[in-house]
Amino acid sequence: MSILSLLLATAAFALLGLTTDAHHRRRFGKSPQARGRRILRTGGWLTLIASVVPAMLARGWIFGPILWAGAIMAGAGIAFLALNFIPARDARR
Amino acid sequence: MSKGFRQSQAFLHTWSGLLLGWILFLVFVAGTIAFWREGLNRWMRPEIARVEQPMRVLAGSQAFLTGKAPDAKSWIIPVATERSPGAQVFWVPQPKPGEERGRRGRRGRGDTQALIGADGQVAQARETRGGEFFYRFHFDLHYMPVIWARWLVGFATMMMLVAIVSGIVTHKKIFRDFFTLRRAKGQRSWLDGHNATAVLALPFHLMITYTGLVTLMAMLMPWAVVANYADQKTVFATLFPTAAAVERTGRPAPLVDLRRIAADAERRLGAPASFIEVSDPADAAARVSVSQSASSMLSSRTPRLTYDGVTGRLVWRSPPPGAAAETAGAMIGLHAGRFAEDGGRWLYFLCGIAGTLMVASGLVLWTVKRRERLPDPSRPHFGFRLVERLNVAVIGGFPLAIACFFWANRLLPVTLGARADWEIHVLFIAWAIAAVTAFVVRPARVWPALFATTGVLLVALPVYDVVATERGLFASLAIGDLMIAGIGATIVVFGLAFLLLARRVARHRPAAKHVRNPRAVTASKVLEPAE
Repeated sequence: MSILSLLLATAAFALLGLTTDAHHRRRFGKSPQARGRRILRTGGWLTLIASVVPAMLARGWIFGPILWAGAIMAGAGIAFLALNFIPARDARR
Repeated sequence: MSKGFRQSQAFLHTWSGLLLGWILFLVFVAGTIAFWREGLNRWMRPEIARVEQPMRVLAGSQAFLTGKAPDAKSWIIPVATERSPGAQVFWVPQPKPGEERGRRGRRGRGDTQALIGADGQVAQARETRGGEFFYRFHFDLHYMPVIWARWLVGFATMMMLVAIVSGIVTHKKIFRDFFTLRRAKGQRSWLDGHNATAVLALPFHLMITYTGLVTLMAMLMPWAVVANYADQKTVFATLFPTAAAVERTGRPAPLVDLRRIAADAERRLGAPASFIEVSDPADAAARVSVSQSASSMLSSRTPRLTYDGVTGRLVWRSPPPGAAAETAGAMIGLHAGRFAEDGGRWLYFLCGIAGTLMVASGLVLWTVKRRERLPDPSRPHFGFRLVERLNVAVIGGFPLAIACFFWANRLLPVTLGARADWEIHVLFIAWAIAAVTAFVVRPARVWPALFATTGVLLVALPVYDVVATERGLFASLAIGDLMIAGIGATIVVFGLAFLLLARRVARHRPAAKHVRNPRAVTASKVLEPAE
């Protein structure tokens, strides 16, 4: 369950990271459209909220929030490193 | 928000961060290492075997103390776990008539304590402070009165809180920018790195700073206590209640088997026990108090049970703490992360590293930002030089000093008097040498030299362990002792990181502007086609 929370948080931050111009262009080769950006952003936030649930299920009301805080920090860290250090497969100009 | 306000916050962020940044760096490094305090306690005593059966250690402790100090005022026995290096038991002798009770400086002297090893016998181990050193250093510093150090650290912590909040206000775009890392672009890269380490672990930074203040609150803000309580004793009695004291009878009576009491206490508490305190052992009035382990709950104010030492009957249990005490206890627990199992510890540790990098990059950023604006870069003004050299001395020197501390732990002769103190002296001597070098030699030379030395020393440590001790990396892995193996592996990783850093810094050519600009442009073409 705690792994699931971490995975959801990582996915959430990856989605949010892709809403930025720089990363979107690096990964998809073009600037995000307003609609695409909105979908990514909403998806990111919803996934982030969803990651609360497994954390609470795993550790209850006292340690759950702590676990979740840890999960979003770790998830953001993984997403950050992945977005910046994994070379873009097809880096079009 | 007006521009003026944001600028004032930027000013606040710069200076609150700079002035106490070096102390914050020390606190962050030592505090981060202290998350592995129990592991280091074992790692720095490689002669001691891992505890497999805690109850055997407890029985051994009782047998030893019964033989050694039957008439003591009290015994204190920590319950050994897989993480602890046996049990460091100590006893308080009966106060002699006329002698004042509870004199300071008694605790921890060699003649009233002993280390009981995994086999229940007294273990002979090198004298060392182990991981406790880092734990104490991160709020007591060293070589100075504890109270001054705590004020200093407390003040630095407040400045940290100021720096975090003003940092969030200043860089309104940190949340949007925080996925961005522009590499090899001088000041921009430093700023992005500072930003990323700050925002990624922002919940941790806020938590650790705020709860750090809570641990020192009684000292920083004594007014509530002063206004409500006449003397210190009443405060402690309220905060840490104990069973009513019983008079010593003078009639001898055998003490009940502590293993039985520990088992009963663990059943009643529903959690492992951490400390057993026996008052007036071998007397008919003996009392045994068991504290619950802090690893089982968030709050550090753990419940206690007190038993009759002869019959083994439960006579008292601590009342539930008040809401405020519970809150403070929870915050201290959150700060120390004692509840966290290994995965959680790693997260704390990584966040601590992020915090360390944030402080370090902030300090370096101060010089990077100002270097380009210097009227004459070859002869900077005094303030700039001071900050630059202090950065080298602290950020470059302190890790080296820690590496030397670990080596001192391995190499100082076991028979040396005051050996534990000498380990610490070695740390400070090494640091002093590094600091002097930093002020004499050009920073561009000292940075890589310090990082490279640190790296070599750290990488060589586990190699030495494999060759010269019984608890090298492979031996530990073979018996599944992941704590010791993990510490060895982590040290290697850090050593390699320092070596890479040294190479990077040594190859860095801070060229003049007209040379660097073209390179920055090419770099941006490669890394960031978007911009």
